[in-house]
Amino acid sequence: QEFQFGPCRVEGITLQELWDAFWAIKDIVQAKDNITSVRLLRKEILQNVSDAESCYLIHALLKFYLNTIFKNYHDKAADFRVRKSFSTLANNFVVLLSKLQPSQENKRFSGHDSARRRFLLFQRAFKQLDIEAAQTKALGEVDILLTWMEKFYHL
Amino acid sequence: HLAEDTSDLLQHVKFQSSNFENIVTWDSSPESAPDTVYSVEYKKYGEREWLAKEGCQRITRKSCNLTVETGNLMELYYARVTAVGAGGRSATKMTDRFSSLHHTTIKPPNVTCIPKVRSIQMIVHPTSTPIHTGDGHQLTLEDIFHDLSYHLELQVNHTYLMHLGGKQREYEFIGLTPDTEFLGTIRIFVPTLLKESAPYVCQVKTLPDRTWT
Repeated sequence: QEFQFGPCRVEGITLQELWDAFWAIKDIVQAKDNITSVRLLRKEILQNVSDAESCYLIHALLKFYLNTIFKNYHDKAADFRVRKSFSTLANNFVVLLSKLQPSQENKRFSGHDSARRRFLLFQRAFKQLDIEAAQTKALGEVDILLTWMEKFYHL
Repeated sequence: HLAEDTSDLLQHVKFQSSNFENIVTWDSSPESAPDTVYSVEYKKYGEREWLAKEGCQRITRKSCNLTVETGNLMELYYARVTAVGAGGRSATKMTDRFSSLHHTTIKPPNVTCIPKVRSIQMIVHPTSTPIHTGDGHQLTLEDIFHDLSYHLELQVNHTYLMHLGGKQREYEFIGLTPDTEFLGTIRIFVPTLLKESAPYVCQVKTLPDRTWT
């Protein structure tokens, strides 16, 4: 079982564990997101991502999720009584991020730039919302992220 | 001015989905007037506009079929119901975010159990769904769930259970006693999404052995 994001191969992460952790927090987090007219991970961000882009994109997304969402959501997770699942998800994302090594020397190639444009679409949508609402929405959209990641997962 | 409590008009608005047949259902409390009428709207998550569901406007029943409208497996949806009761009292409630791929339950498979003298053959028929591809091809559960598999059991006696399983559709339990009753159960499994169907059950009797008569 491994993820293969283009050139980036990651072993030791079980996708089912990520899903199980998310299912435990999904209903309560999504219920807190009442901005139903905004979707951060829109189709144009995750559709038709090439292998060359995929490592850069997942690296940027995971880094953003960890630094901007998970880092600031611990207390809320405790309030919602989902801290354990929340931590499982966060820890798996930390391990996944640490194992992703997007090639630095060929950043000039197309993968990096188009991945960057996709990520900026996400970040821009995020910044247009109140920070707390945006964090809740992004966390509630981890199922969209996992569904996309599933395409790069091999049993 | 205190907002009037209209929770009696509308409760438990939710999607119920089975083999991708997506139905919105709701309740009202017993005290609510029988002439309450309901109107249903739906939209994709991320879109602004709510769309009225034709055929579910000012209805008195408490369900509405949104299978066609929520048929894109890669989309997430919301539905909402507005109830209008006597004296113009009204209430509106929304479902949770709905993904048919993740929320649908799996019905028992359709199976033909064929008894022979010393074996029982089981043929699982493909399960069609209301989901179509862009070019109109109707998808089966097997098309949608790539890791779908079948688990078959044959109860031989109180203590002995035979097992077969896999992705193929034809199976045969062999080495059985002629002219004997057996109970077969067949389930569908989708491991990655933790889905398991209720069992299809068939009670069959192997044929008598007439070779020496």
